[in-house]
Amino acid sequence: MSALGGAAAGGDGINPTGTAVGIVILLVSIAATYALGFSIIPLIGIIVGGALIGFGVHFVPVGGAPAAMGQAPGIATGVAMLAAGAGLAGLFGGAWAYEATGDFAIAVVGGAVGGGLMMAITCLMVNATYVFAMGIPAASGKVDKDPITGDTFPAYKSQGTEGHGLPFISFFGGVVGGFITGLGGTLIYIELLDVYHAALPTIMQADPAAIEPLAVSLAGIFAIGFFLVNAVLAAYNITGTIEGPHDPKFKRVPRAVIGCAVASAFCGFISMLILVNTGM
Amino acid sequence: MTVKVEASAGKLPHNTLMIYGIIVALVGIYLTYLNVVTGVAVFSFFGGIGAIAALWWGSDTIKHLCSYGLGTGVPSAGMIAFGAGTIAMIAGTKFGIFSPIVTVILAAIIGAVIGYVANNIINMNIPVMVMSLVELSVVGALTMLGFAAMCTGTFMFNGLVIGGMTLSMEPSAAAAGGVQTFMVTVIPEFAGSLIGGAALAVIFFIGAMALQHPFNACLGPNESQDRTLMLAIEVGFLSMLIVAVMSFAFIDMMSAIVGLIVALLGWIYSYKTYIALSKRDAFAWLDSKPIIEVGGNQ
Repeated sequence: MSALGGAAAGGDGINPTGTAVGIVILLVSIAATYALGFSIIPLIGIIVGGALIGFGVHFVPVGGAPAAMGQAPGIATGVAMLAAGAGLAGLFGGAWAYEATGDFAIAVVGGAVGGGLMMAITCLMVNATYVFAMGIPAASGKVDKDPITGDTFPAYKSQGTEGHGLPFISFFGGVVGGFITGLGGTLIYIELLDVYHAALPTIMQADPAAIEPLAVSLAGIFAIGFFLVNAVLAAYNITGTIEGPHDPKFKRVPRAVIGCAVASAFCGFISMLILVNTGM
Repeated sequence: MTVKVEASAGKLPHNTLMIYGIIVALVGIYLTYLNVVTGVAVFSFFGGIGAIAALWWGSDTIKHLCSYGLGTGVPSAGMIAFGAGTIAMIAGTKFGIFSPIVTVILAAIIGAVIGYVANNIINMNIPVMVMSLVELSVVGALTMLGFAAMCTGTFMFNGLVIGGMTLSMEPSAAAAGGVQTFMVTVIPEFAGSLIGGAALAVIFFIGAMALQHPFNACLGPNESQDRTLMLAIEVGFLSMLIVAVMSFAFIDMMSAIVGLIVALLGWIYSYKTYIALSKRDAFAWLDSKPIIEVGGNQ
């Protein structure tokens, strides 16, 4: 069987029918959560977090295998791996900040800074490898001029490549992407943790202090699951490589935001189900 | 920019494979219930066998999905499978004896929603997308449930979250005759359990790697179904080996050793078979030929 996916991604447009059905799924998930007697505020937080992850992933410069050979700009790995790295680093940072301070704002910002920091270090070391080990200058293939620094690229771009290295705009995009995905991941974690914290002692008939590790682990595992679902959906939207916010593929971002919001809403509803007393 | 991925036509039809996979996985997970019936935990390793059956089926599903050139690499499919699967699996374990069945149903629903989002909102327009993500979510959920059952000896929520019991004794009122009585309460301890100790995260990632690796390693013009699936079994047993080591913390020594021996024997056998199949396929390319173009849609 040969590759059939030539026109797999249907352009940059939005599919109206699919989006309408998606929004219905989102509303039904919220209504079902409400009908089961849970507060819908955490679910809204989860939806916003999922949408932020879908949005943030598009900033991250992903080069894939061509970048490893110096034939395309970006970091030389797949979207899902990079997003998971940035988001999980952020999530750990945010979880630690929440544990230490118990303050919502500090924890969310801590997660965002953790994700941004992770991407900044990655981008720096990737560029060091490109410049000093592979001997290639940073040049974008999608734009002639860096929108931030004004550097020109065509003179540095090797023939037959789509550009190479990590120009400043891609570096900037990576840090912003890490910041936003880390924020989204931490938001999901904290919302889930609060829900489990409040409801698990009743349902398990246990002391709130004793249930603490269980609430943290459950929220953490669910947050990782949510994160990977959203990151891979965003990766499917990108289909392969993206240079950063200046890439024409960035125009597809509304689709990913809607898609991730719908998927997060439904998965969020399922994750509330463990608080239903099934009596078994 | 998509990497051309070619897959063999496949000797065993995918639907047959799916039916075998789901039945063996469910039967394997249900056989761990013998632990409850008999009172010993030696039947735990059946959970691992069930998980391997799910991985075996999932590798073939990934092959079908990734033949369409997603552009994101094969590992992303394993990641989304386990991301969706873990949500279904934890929610599904709340349903007592029906947990494996409920897990499959929940995972299928989550997979269908995610597949719809990918296909119709994100506009992937891949014909097998919805079905593949349904299958992959079920595979992810069953693999995690199987390994969790192997690790702890049960597939029910309470068994997965309660690590042990501590007895708390408080002096109670003196009974008649001056005898001091104590009120004994049982306090469940959560931090030492599979989920409470976050050991489930290890199962998550070793399972995801076992799911994404076989086709990622074997893809190419020379891919053959039996070799890919044997690699799935091999990596599955390797993951089962890790789970068997983890199970020493949760079940008794004897049962964990049984799991370890089963995993080790299975791994040695499947590794030898896989190497033999690799040599067979390598020999077929001894006189290098042009890449075979397989026509048609399959």
